[in-house]
Formats: sequence, structure tokens, C-alpha cells
Amino acid sequence: MAFEALFKPIQIGSQTIRNRVVSTAHAEVYATDGGMTTDRYVKYYEEKAKGGCGLCICGGSSIVSIDSPQGWWSSVNLSTDRIIPHFQNLADAVHKHGGKIMIQITHMGRRSRWDGYDWSTLLSPSGIREPVHRSTCKTIEVEEIHRIIHDFTQAARRAKEGGLDGVELSAVHQHLIDQFWSPRVNKRTDEWGGTFENRMRFGLEVLKAVRAEVGDDFVVGMRITGDEFHPDGLTHEDMKQIAAYYDATGMVDYFGVVGSGCDTHNTLANVIPNMSFPPEPFLHLASGIKEVVNVPVIHAQNIKDPNQAQRILEGGYVDLVGMTRAHIADPHIIAKIKNNQIDQIKQCVGANYCIDRQYQGLDVLCIQNAATSREYMGLPHIIEKTEGPKRKVVVVGGGPAGMEAARVCAERGHDVTLFEAGEQIGGQITIASKAPQRDQIAGITRWYQLELNRLEVDQRLGTRADEATIQDLRPDVVILATGGRPFLTQVPEWGYDADTDKSLVVSTWDILEGRVEPGKNVLIFDTICEFSGVSAADYLADKGAKVEIVTDDIKPGAAVGGTTFPTYYRSLYEKEVIMTSDLALHKVYREGDSLVAVLENEYTGALEERVVDQVVVENGVRPDETLYYALKERSRNKGQTDIEALYAIKPQPCLQEPGEGFALFRLGDCTAPRNTHAAIYDALRLCKDF
Amino acid sequence: MLDTLLPILLFSALLLAAIGAVRRVRLWRQGRPSSVPVIKGLMQVPRRYLVDLHHVVERDKYISHTHVATAGGFVLAALLAIVVHGFGLQSAILGWVLLAATTSMFIGSLLVAKRRSPPPSRLSKGPWMRLPKSLMAFSLGMFAVTLPTAGILPEGVFQSGLGWIAALVLAAVIVWGLGEMFFGMTWGGPMKHAFAGALHLAFHRRPERFSDGTGGEHRSTGLKALKLDDDNAKLGVEKPADFTWNQLLGFDACVQCGRCEAMCPAFAAGQPLNPKKLIQDMVVGMAGGSDAKYYGSPYPGKPVGEHEGHPHGPIVARQGTSLVDPETLWSCTTCRACVEECPMMIEHVDAIVDMRRFLTLEHGNTPNKGAEVLDNLIATDNPGGFDPDSRLHWAADLNLPLMADKQEADVLLWLGDGVFDMRNQRTLRAFISVLRAANVDFAVLGNEERDSGDVARRLGDEATFQTLARRNIQTLSRYRFARIVTCDPHSFHVLKNEYGELGTAQTPADYHVQHHSTYISELVSANKLTFKAWKGGSVTYHDPCYLGRYNGEYEAPRDVLKALGIEIKEMARSGYRSRCCGGGGGAPITDIPGKQRIPDMRMEDVRETGADLVAVGCPQCTAMLEGVVEPRAGIKDIAELVADALIIETPADQSPQRQQAPAAPRPALEVAS
Ligand SMILES: Cc1cc2nc3c(=O)[nH]c(=O)nc-3n(C[C@H](O)[C@H](O)[C@H](O)COP(=O)(O)O)c2cc1C
Ligand code: SF4
Ligand code: SF4
Ligand code: SF4
Repeated sequence: MAFEALFKPIQIGSQTIRNRVVSTAHAEVYATDGGMTTDRYVKYYEEKAKGGCGLCICGGSSIVSIDSPQGWWSSVNLSTDRIIPHFQNLADAVHKHGGKIMIQITHMGRRSRWDGYDWSTLLSPSGIREPVHRSTCKTIEVEEIHRIIHDFTQAARRAKEGGLDGVELSAVHQHLIDQFWSPRVNKRTDEWGGTFENRMRFGLEVLKAVRAEVGDDFVVGMRITGDEFHPDGLTHEDMKQIAAYYDATGMVDYFGVVGSGCDTHNTLANVIPNMSFPPEPFLHLASGIKEVVNVPVIHAQNIKDPNQAQRILEGGYVDLVGMTRAHIADPHIIAKIKNNQIDQIKQCVGANYCIDRQYQGLDVLCIQNAATSREYMGLPHIIEKTEGPKRKVVVVGGGPAGMEAARVCAERGHDVTLFEAGEQIGGQITIASKAPQRDQIAGITRWYQLELNRLEVDQRLGTRADEATIQDLRPDVVILATGGRPFLTQVPEWGYDADTDKSLVVSTWDILEGRVEPGKNVLIFDTICEFSGVSAADYLADKGAKVEIVTDDIKPGAAVGGTTFPTYYRSLYEKEVIMTSDLALHKVYREGDSLVAVLENEYTGALEERVVDQVVVENGVRPDETLYYALKERSRNKGQTDIEALYAIKPQPCLQEPGEGFALFRLGDCTAPRNTHAAIYDALRLCKDF
Repeated sequence: MLDTLLPILLFSALLLAAIGAVRRVRLWRQGRPSSVPVIKGLMQVPRRYLVDLHHVVERDKYISHTHVATAGGFVLAALLAIVVHGFGLQSAILGWVLLAATTSMFIGSLLVAKRRSPPPSRLSKGPWMRLPKSLMAFSLGMFAVTLPTAGILPEGVFQSGLGWIAALVLAAVIVWGLGEMFFGMTWGGPMKHAFAGALHLAFHRRPERFSDGTGGEHRSTGLKALKLDDDNAKLGVEKPADFTWNQLLGFDACVQCGRCEAMCPAFAAGQPLNPKKLIQDMVVGMAGGSDAKYYGSPYPGKPVGEHEGHPHGPIVARQGTSLVDPETLWSCTTCRACVEECPMMIEHVDAIVDMRRFLTLEHGNTPNKGAEVLDNLIATDNPGGFDPDSRLHWAADLNLPLMADKQEADVLLWLGDGVFDMRNQRTLRAFISVLRAANVDFAVLGNEERDSGDVARRLGDEATFQTLARRNIQTLSRYRFARIVTCDPHSFHVLKNEYGELGTAQTPADYHVQHHSTYISELVSANKLTFKAWKGGSVTYHDPCYLGRYNGEYEAPRDVLKALGIEIKEMARSGYRSRCCGGGGGAPITDIPGKQRIPDMRMEDVRETGADLVAVGCPQCTAMLEGVVEPRAGIKDIAELVADALIIETPADQSPQRQQAPAAPRPALEVAS
């Protein structure tokens, strides 16, 4: 049997886990009603259990005390008995499918925000400020230490009474327990700081008290770092010593090990490695911990592929693999391995849309899977065939919206023709994948390509559809997903011309697609501050250009998420790209062989000039509406999407009623430029009832 | 003149036939002893012929009518000819009857001739091509010489001038006829089949196969155990003379009708096997000589005339060639299609396994993955070499009740080695959900279960089979259960039909074993299951060999599918004529190449029905058919179809004391504030 190691059950404390795959703790940002695990939360985990996941550790950073604020990340609130019946629903839903479920519990100490909700005073061993959240805090007092230890016990009791299978104490990511461990943060001179034993004391007391509360038939695990990667932080050797120390108590049922600390922007990026990282970059750290402990070790960080997971387990590096984002991208990953449908797994591409939303306090969503966490709304991961009429569907445009629309319609059993003007599908994903370290984003397209082939969608590549070609197919439904073009005409002074030879500026697409040779001395003006600007800068610098990237926003790449801008910055600084903020591109003119870019300071109005040989402008996308207006009048619904039905995930009324001619819908950037997730979400919710 | 000549001819033909018969019997007697009730057997011949054999022959109506006319006519004509023309009892009435008998035989021979012009490829040519003419010679000759007896021609008509010439011609015709029919019968001509066939019916090695007039099932498909306790006895069959004498007799009965060849999946796939040729090779070996005088289809890819054998020479040479090449024996899937079709009740599979036993046990020569699989079975009790303690790994989340804990259950669920296969795990899960939906009291052996021994046995490793079987019997003897149910027809077959022989007084091994489709059909009849309406596409059903031909279960799976609301689109080859998936007998392990793959052919059968889905009831079939490249029909086990259709009533609320979680007002998108 293939994947034998993956499917070998394992005992963790009192619990048998059916396989070696774990969805590790992540802050989902779904716990509503003051931190309760309500419907959305339950359905999200039920889907993973249904999909075969062995162990779900839910509730990343769920709080045990009211002075560890719950609201910022809608985390689960274990500080009240009110949670117990909600846990019962959650536990039943997961157990029903043979899965196990535990919860991560913590007090975040200083690692939070104080400026909202209860306006809590944050606590930390020595009152030292935390940079990522810019949070100040007080020095914790012994009475508070004892209160919080008690809060931990009560939280664990609630988890147990709610029927969960265990708790994981978070001593990772610089929460209160590991704040005590770290000499960098713990400067105390009383019995809670200083010597190794003293620094260990808080965690040990929590562990002892929790174990005493819950007894032996309930799992208590601990998540730790394998190395903080801080000059003055806990090293791998320190962590081995710590792990061995707690393991020796015999009270810990397993260790979860993560590489890197995370209290700076830069280390944070390691914790949830994006697509610029190699596979399992920190496995060796978890392996090192495994050497010194006697209980199972779990490791998650860039393990996304079944073969990779099998290899790691077979090699005995760790006992269980976390495949956390892998499950966000495809909660049915295990079932697909078992069903011999490995090619159908929607593999996480490391775009980190999920975590980057979480850091902003937004609900966690997957860039490429719009059904994830929307199970409760009736958005399916597995699309059923329609029982209604079989329709002829024409999709124009093979970007994210068009690919998803074609896939969903084909899964419904309709006869689908997809037109794409380019030679391959993918749309802007293909462009994005050209940048250094961003190639893996093309994984999104790769999956769609496999699915469209499997579903036998008629793909007309290199074919620009017009009114006549569409009419010829006698469609029942026409979906336009034609995207747009870089919007370089907005400011005439930029000197854009459709003829590249005459144009004074080029777009980031021109650069990334290789349609324009990279210059030697390049100015990039990026007012959007998303991926495309920094990607173009990285690309050009990689080709040897001297690059300055200028924005009128607060910093270049400002809209790139918290776990991704650091890896761009690492690359851009290394290549000596100059990043300048607060300047807008006022005008470009030619002077001899050179171009002169006139920049205007956002706050003073002062003008300055750069003499360069190439000016690249990123000003977003202008929707391509021509085909839409050509077809609109002839369509039975005049091109209108019923948004009430769309938002309620209900069938479009125009398809329910009898009528002449085709129904026409627009998806993605050809309506208004948004993002990949928006395009895919709209396509899924529109087409799922066709 | 004819009056004198005919008795001489008749009696010398009979004498020669008798001499031939003695010689033939001596050839058979070269085989190992096998005790049979002689008188009882002989008494059974008419019934075995008229009921059992006819049952098979009748599947081809044309040849059945032909045979009744020809053989019936001949037997009667021969007897009467001896009385009338041999002993000279010139009764007009007998004459008329003899005329009728020869007429019937003549009509029969015309039909034989028609079937052979031109002969279908499965029929042998050579001497067989002259048989219709010989039949005509005998019947016409006898007819003519009997005309005076019946009073149609005047007495003495053959004595007149012209009559003399006619008499001479007739005598020649009759010599020809008698030569073929009497002399040829025991001296190796086509008519040998009648002589050997009748005795084969009398002394068949599996008398249980035949009806005894009491009704009920008469099936004998389990392989016979090899005695392993005698250290000096040769294991399996090395030489033709190592077969039992009645096996040799059976081979000799072959009429070369090629029905076996026409049904053999390995032959159709172009693998070097043809069951008819194999039987003929045994005949060649038993008499000694080369196969050059074989006039049927060869083993695909192996020209005729290059092999020869001897009753006491090896059938398979260690090096070079002798009578049969090993790949011929290893091509067989043990599907029994040949045995099922054979009008002479020949047991090809027994013979093949006997010869495999020698190759495996004495030569240690099991090709391709064979040796590895057998080593695995010995070391780990399963063919894949998986950790024997990992049998329940796939079911860690199912909390399966263990026999070791329960000691007693209505159903002992035999899981089989499919536990190590992810595809089959789905089937098992489905079946378990069916059992649970019907509230069945069941338990599994878990890590105490071992491979049933099926593969080891078919690969000829009788020793490993018996070890596995005895250990399983020991384990089973510790528990109380009403029946064993399994999703695996191979386990089903050995547990039901092959363990019995290995049971002891303390640990009898006569279990009530059921295939899951049979059990589900019982649950359906007892209204224990409720189903949603069938919404899928069209469905066909593939009969697994070990369920159908081996055990006669054709109806239960079909009944279950019907209960689901499925109307089955039958394949042209279904039921007892189902074509093997290619997965039996260790064939996928020995993996002998051919021109195409058997499962591809089977999926082609499926495609012809236009079905979207093929329902199966065997892990091996599932694996083989799913291995066929797409596009092809979907493949689902019956248990999966049933599980998918189940309507499961969930108890309204299990725990009344449970607090109700307050329902929170919920916006469509929950964004943290
Ligand atoms: C959206 C998101 C939120 C996370 N929140 C937490 C958290 O609260 N606590 C924690 O220990 N880990 C958290 N993690 C880290 C994950 O548990 C896991 O270690 C990480 O995603 C790497 O594993 P992966 O590559 O399998 O996704 C989070 C990860 C994601 C994607
Ligand atoms: S958003 Fe990206 S990183 Fe997150 S799960 Fe989806 S594909 Fe993976
Ligand atoms: S058992 Fe099947 S494969 Fe073997 S010889 Fe007979 S028909 Fe052919
Ligand atoms: S073995 Fe049986 S089926 Fe085959 S040719 Fe001989 S008589 Fe016919």
C-alpha cells in the first residue's frame, strides 16, 4: 500500500489518531458571539474530518483569560462556561467522521492589542514592548500569575466537558509561557525569572495544574519553537533542553514543533512559510526535538504534498505531519489520496492569503478555494451534477474567474466551451508567476488545467471570442471573464502609447511577461502597492537592472500581507533596490536617449526628477467591457446578475424562468478589478446552481 | 457373402477394439492410484450422461441435437448391428429399428458436416475433419445392408451379379465405418471420446459434481488438499504419470470441441495458454510422443511440433523444452471458464494447480513476483509483506468490535487482505456502514486474521496454504459466531470449500460462509435497510469467478442491485459465462505477457453495454478493472452502491441533558471587528 506511513494510526496519550495528518492550530477568525464555536466554525472542521484528517487542533491562540483579548482575531473564548455546549456540537461533528479534535489554549501576554474591546492592560514577565503589534504591557504580578494558571485549568476543564479530545498549550510564537522562557523578554529576578528552572516555572505550573484538572484520559500537548532565530533568543539547544525538561514530567502527551520565533515582521514570515520557501524548511528542528523527547512530535511548515508527507514520516523525522494550509486549500486531501485522486488535490500554493487576512483580523480564506469556511452557507467542495436541464455554457476568458466558472459548470454536467485569447489559461496568475520566488502561484492554474482536462471542457486556446463565435455555439449561458488591461491612460502626462516604441511608460505586465526588454536603470511607480509592483522590481533587479520603486502610498508593497512583504524585502534589499515612499509620478518626458520622470512629494508638493532608461507604472487594471456591451442588449437578463440571489448563494432567477436567448454574466476583473479570491468566489457562488 | 463377411468384420472390429481398450486402460493405469467405487460409478453413467453432461452440451442447441441424433443413433445401431448382422438374428422389426437408428445417425452426421464447413477456429481439424464422413459411411453402410432384413429389398439381393459388386462396395464402406467407430474408439481416433468419456463419467475424481436425483446444488470446486506429511512423496505433478489414473482418463475423454478455448480469457488475451491444447498435451504425454499431430489452435505464440513428452518424463523441463512451457501454466487465472464449458467434465484447473504445485514446491520456481509474494505470506501472513499488526490501521476511526473482546457475534466479518489496499478499504467501510445501518451484531478478528491462503494455494504453494488455513481454523475455533461474511469471493471460496478438509474433530472447519452480496440481499429481504431512489446512470454487473462459477451465486448480487432500483444491462458474457477480470489464480503476480490485457477485454465487454458503471463484488476485480485506462465506466462494489443509497435514521437527540447552544445571529460573512 502506498502511503503506509501516512495511514498508520498513532496513540497520543489516551487517544488513537487514525492517521498521521494533523491540521495544526490556526486562528480561524470564525468564532462569533464573543468567541463561540458556532455554525461556520463547526462546519469548517467537520469538512476536514469528513475529508479524512486524523487530528484537528482547532482554535489557534484561543484565550483562557479575559485579559488576553479575544476580539481581535475572533478567537475561541475558553474563559467562560458558555463555550461548553458549543464545544459539544464541534466535537460531535468531528467525531461523527472518525476524526479527533483538540484545541490550542493560551494566554497571549503582551502579544496582542490593548486598544479595543475591554481595553485590557496587557501583561508580560517584564513589561517589555512587543514590536509586531506595537503593544505595550505591564509587568505581571505573582497574584496574576496564579490567576492565569487557574484560568488555564478552567479552560482545559471546559474543553474536556465539551467533549474535545485534548488541549494544546501554546508555548510558541511568543505567548505568555514562552515569554517567561525567553531571557530576552523575561528579566525577572524573582522565582519566575533568571535561572533556567525559574524561567520554566510558569509553564510547568500551568502544565501541572492542567494535568491535575483533566486527569490522564485527556490529551495535553505543548507547542514549542525549535529555534527562535533571534540573536538573543532561544536557540535550538535551549529548546532541546526545555523540551526534555517538560517531557521528563511525563505530563506532556505530545510536542508540536515550529521553526522560528515570530515577534518581528521578519521572523514571522518564517512561521508560515510562503511560496518563496523550500519544502519543509525547518523539519530538522522538529527532528532535533524528537531526539530528546519520548512522546510523539508533530511538525507543520510547508508540508503540502502527500509524497512529501510520506517521505518525512517514513524517514522517521517526526511522528505526525501538520498539513494545515494544505487542508485550508483542500479539506478533502486525505480522501483524495485514499481515492487515488492525487491529481485532483487542490494543493496549497503558499500564497498566504489565509494568514495575511488573519493578521488583519479578517476571517481566514483561501485564495483559490472559495468553499473553505463557507460550508455553512452551502458552498460545496464537491460539486454535484445538476438534476435540471443540461445547458450550453460559453465562458470567455481563462483567468481565475473563467477557470472556476468553467470547472463548476462542467462539474454540474453542462456542456462548456472556454475561450482564451492567450496560448494558455491562467490569466493574471500566469503573469504573477513570472516573478522570482513567485512561480508556485502557477500551481493554481495547474490544478485548473488538470480539472478542465478531466472534465473534458472544450478549451479554445489562442482564440479571441467575438459576438459571432459565441452566437454560433447557441449558448444558454454566456459568462464573460475577460479581465482587463493595465490602466496607463489615466494620467496623460505619463506619455503612454499603445505602440510600445512610442510609449514613455510600460506596465508591470509588459515587464513580467517579457514583452518589453528590461531596462538598465529603471524607475517603477507603483500606486497600487500589491504584488505586481514589488514583483516587477524583483524581476528587473534579478535581470541586473538598477531599480528604484516609488509609491505615493506609505511604503512600497504596503498592501502585500504580513507574511509576504518580508520575503519581498529580503530579496529587494539584497539586490539593492531602492524603495521610496510618498512620491507620485507627475510626468514623464524624453531627453535624448533617456527618460526623465518627474515625481511629486505627496505632502509638500515638491518636484524631483529621476533620469532613467525605463519607467514602469503600476496603476491597476481597467476592465475590458467591449464584449460585454456588444452582448448585453441581446441577453435575456440584460447582463444583470441578481446580487440578492448571488450573495444569498441562491440560483439566479433568470435561469429559473422561461425566456428566449442566453443569460449573460460577468465575473472577475472585467467588471471591476478585485483579486483572485473575489473572482473565484463569485464564479463559484454564481455557477454552483446552474 | 455379406452374411459371412459382416459377422467377421463386426467381430474382428470388436476384438481389435477390445485389444485397443486394454492398451488404453494401461496407459491410464500409469497414473497414481485413486480409489473410486467401480460398480456404483458405472451404474451412474446413464444419469451423469443424460443429466449432467447434457446440461452442459445443451448450451449449444445445435450441437446438442446433433449429438443426440448421431450418438443415440450410433449406440442403437451398433448394438442392433451386432445382434442382427453379427449373430444373424434377421428380424424385420429389428431391421426397421436399425434402419431408423442409422437414419438418425446419418442426419446427425450431416449436421456434423455442416458445422465443420468450414469449422470454427475452436474445433480441431486433422482426423476430426473425416469424422462426419466416417459417420456417414457407418450409417449408410449399415442402412444399406439392413434393407433386406427389413424386407425393403428382397433377400439375396446382394448375391446377384450386380449385387456382388454392391456388396463389395458396401463391405468397404462398412470397414471404413467400423474402423472409425469401433477400432478408432480405443486406438486413439476421434471416437476415443465416447469410450474414455463414458468411463470418465463413471470414475470421475469429483463424484460430488454430479446430480444424484435428490436435487440441490452439485458443485465441487475446492482444490483437493495435498498430503504433505510423507517426506518421500513427490509434491504435485512432475510427469504425466504423476496424475491420478482417473485424471489421465479424463484428459483422454477430450473431444477437442474447443469450448474451453473459446472461453479462456488467457487465450483470448494472447497469453501462451489454450486449455484444449493443454489437455491434448497431457494426452500426448501419457502416450509419449510429440504434439505434431495436434490440429487445433496452438498456445498463442508457440508453434506446434516443438514439444514432446513421455509418461515418465518431466512435463516442464528445468531447462529447454519438454511437453509444456512453464508460462503456459502460469498464465491461467483459475477462472474455471474452461471447466464450466467442458462437455466432458474435464478438470483443467485441478491439473494446472497440480503441475504448479510441483514447480513451486519442488523447483521453487514461481515466476515474477510469485516468489516474493510467497515469502511475504510466510513472513507476514499477507501477500504484500505489510506489518501483520497493521491489519486494522485503516479502521482506527471505526471502533470495530473485536472477536477477542466479544467472543461471540452473529456475524464474523472476514476482512481479507484488502485491508491493506486503500481502494478496498472504501468497500469495507461501505459494508461496515451497511452492517451498522442494519444493526447487525458483528465482530472482526483484527490482527488475528491471516491471509486466507487463496493466493498461495493457486500459486501451488500448498504448504503455505495449509499453514495459513490451519492457523485461521485455530483462531476461528476460539469464537462463537453464526456465520462468516466477507466481501472477498476468494476468501469466501476457501473458507467455504477448502478449509473443511483441514478441520479436525476438535476444530471442525465447516462454517456457514456468505458473500456480502448474499448477506445484504438477506438484510434487504428482512426489510433491515431502506434506500433512496437510484439516481445514477445505467449499470452492468460483473460476476466474479469465485462467486459465480465457483459458488453458483449469480442471483443475490443482482437482487441487491434490483432492490436499489437499478436495472442491470447485462453483458453478453455474464453469469456462468462471465469473463474473468484477469485477477485470479495469482495471474497478476506471475504476470505472463500476452497481446492484450484481460481486464481491458473485460472493460470492452462493459463498454458494449453502454453502462456508465460496473458493479462488482470482489476486491480483485475492482483493482483489475480500475487499472484499465480511462475513459471507461466507473467501478463500484455492491457494498458501496448500497451504502451510498442508505437512508440512515439518526436518533433525534442522543443526550437530553445536553445544553442547547444558543443560536447567534449570523451575518453571511463573519469579519472580526
Ligand atoms: C491562518 C493561520 C493562522 C495561524 N494561527 C496560528 C495560531 O494561532 N497558533 C499557532 O500555533 N499556529 C498558527 N498558525 C500556524 C499553523 O499552525 C502552521 O504551523 C503553519 O500554517 C505552517 O503549517 P502549514 O505549512 O502546514 O500550513 C497559523 C497558520 C495559519 C495559516
Ligand atoms: S491562501 Fe494560499 S497559502 Fe493559504 S491555504 Fe490557500 S493557497 Fe495556501
Ligand atoms: S481456468 Fe480460466 S484461464 Fe485457466 S485455462 Fe481455464 S479458462 Fe483459461
Ligand atoms: S477440454 Fe473439454 S471443452 Fe476443452 S476441448 Fe476438450 S472436451 Fe472440449
